[in-house]
Amino acid sequence: MSCLLAVDGVSFSYGGRSVLDSVSFRAEEGEFLALLGINGSGKSTLLDVISGFRRPGAGSVIISSRAQADWKRREMAQQVSHLPQSIHADLPFTAEQLVAMGRYPHTDRWFESEEDHQHIRAAMERTSCWSQRHRSFASLSGGERQRVLVAACLAQNATAHLLDEPSTFLDIEQQLHCFSVLREEARAGKLCIAATHDLNLAVTYCTRLLILANGVVAHDILTAEAHHNTEWLRLFSKRLEMGITPSGSPWVWYK
Amino acid sequence: MNATQQSSVVARNSLALSLAVFLAAALLLPWVGAGPISVVRVLRHQSPDYEILLQLRLSRTLLALVAGGALSLAGTLFQAMLRDALATPYTLGISAGASLGAVAVIAMGGETFLGIPMTWVGALAGAFGVLILVVGGAFRQRQISAFSLLLTGIAINSICAAFIIILSSFAGMSRSFSIARWLIGSIDATSYVSLAVLAIIVLLVSAMILSQARSWNLLAVGERWAASRGVRVGALLAQGYLLGSILVAGAIALTGPIGFVGLIVPHLVRSRISPDHRLLMPCAFLLGGALLALCDAIGRIVMPPAELPAGAVLALIGGPYLVWIIRQRTPEEEI
Repeated sequence: MSCLLAVDGVSFSYGGRSVLDSVSFRAEEGEFLALLGINGSGKSTLLDVISGFRRPGAGSVIISSRAQADWKRREMAQQVSHLPQSIHADLPFTAEQLVAMGRYPHTDRWFESEEDHQHIRAAMERTSCWSQRHRSFASLSGGERQRVLVAACLAQNATAHLLDEPSTFLDIEQQLHCFSVLREEARAGKLCIAATHDLNLAVTYCTRLLILANGVVAHDILTAEAHHNTEWLRLFSKRLEMGITPSGSPWVWYK
Repeated sequence: MNATQQSSVVARNSLALSLAVFLAAALLLPWVGAGPISVVRVLRHQSPDYEILLQLRLSRTLLALVAGGALSLAGTLFQAMLRDALATPYTLGISAGASLGAVAVIAMGGETFLGIPMTWVGALAGAFGVLILVVGGAFRQRQISAFSLLLTGIAINSICAAFIIILSSFAGMSRSFSIARWLIGSIDATSYVSLAVLAIIVLLVSAMILSQARSWNLLAVGERWAASRGVRVGALLAQGYLLGSILVAGAIALTGPIGFVGLIVPHLVRSRISPDHRLLMPCAFLLGGALLALCDAIGRIVMPPAELPAGAVLALIGGPYLVWIIRQRTPEEEI
């Protein structure tokens, strides 16, 4: 069976320090995966390997039935977009110019077409940063920058979005908004994989939880079943418990 | 008015303005100089006005326009590649190599060979020596990055500077003075043949650089940012290094190292017109050429009959101006 993303036995080490040690999972269009794990568990490294920024020491990443290394960079960019954890803040570009760069793999035109502008505007409106389009990126606050970066991912209109901590710097309202936008993307047939530390955002919006520990996928559970076996919570802290809110959604709380 | 039209109007206006400044410099500046030139006498092809204008001042002005444009574009390019607003045509070591080559020729007393100034040959040889060293060094481990290029450039700059000091301390008094003078950078009358060769090279290479403007935009944000949007970063960096080096080597072989134009003009255009390389690059080329030609013209008239080298005029005007621009930055532009 072909699937959008197949990660098979991927290993990666920085020098002698092994971070990923045979990670395997598959993911389909329409899924919204939360990539969870404590600091240093390899979340970012795994996203880097899938994006092709790092070559795995062993194993393979297959995207739409083709090995990641066999994709041309540009075609790859139409398949997979990546939201970096951090970016130079001291950029001269305006918010709109940065988002417009997401259109790079789609056109050879010198200036963006009307269609490109529609994509740019729609992406910026969805992350509520359209009103800031003329401001320089350097002058935006941390949360405003993050919204621009998420918009840049959306404007790229790739089949899979890989997001490294997309909710960083966002206030609570914007965190909820960001994850619900990603959920919409997944419903519209995209694959979203978000590395995050916020377990409640993950169980509220994601369809599946992928928990990395000791270089492997320690748990791979559907969110709907996450509260049946809460052993996975122990990987984060002994003090975590899971319950159901009055409205019926799962909730993680501290003892 | 929709977004597409709006951005293209801004683009058209600033390009047209830059082109107008460039053309005005080309048409007006040859008339500026120590001695007055009569338009009537030039039109009648009378000596010496006709010869002064055509043989001396026009060729100088054209050289300044082409070299200034090339250096300014190279500065813009290197700033994008290294994501460093302080990068200049000096930064990657090419201009140090060219300087060393030219200085070696002056120290050995080379003058002209078959009508070609030997400093030109020396500068080109030096630049290509550095190019080979860097390609062998930074590019050898296939992982080429802006950081490795920058470090290699710094190392080469120091090595070449050391050799230049050694050479000039062994050269006699007068040659040592010629070396110092060459290192300031100046525009001198050139034969139209070498000017044409330079112009053709600069135009071709500039067109190749400009055709990648969208990629430079992405690279200016970050290597990963570019890679995840479909840029082949390693290949692009290698291409930028090679093309930028040709521009720098060609220009400073004829003018001496005038790197400052490659710092100040891109900075000005980026903050006043646009950081978008599709506009930034052509505007920086046109305005950089015009600025260097203007500095050369000023150098001709401030203390006749002596001439102040264009490199010195540029530093005297450009330095304070750059400080002023930086002081003008509003707090919201601060990091």
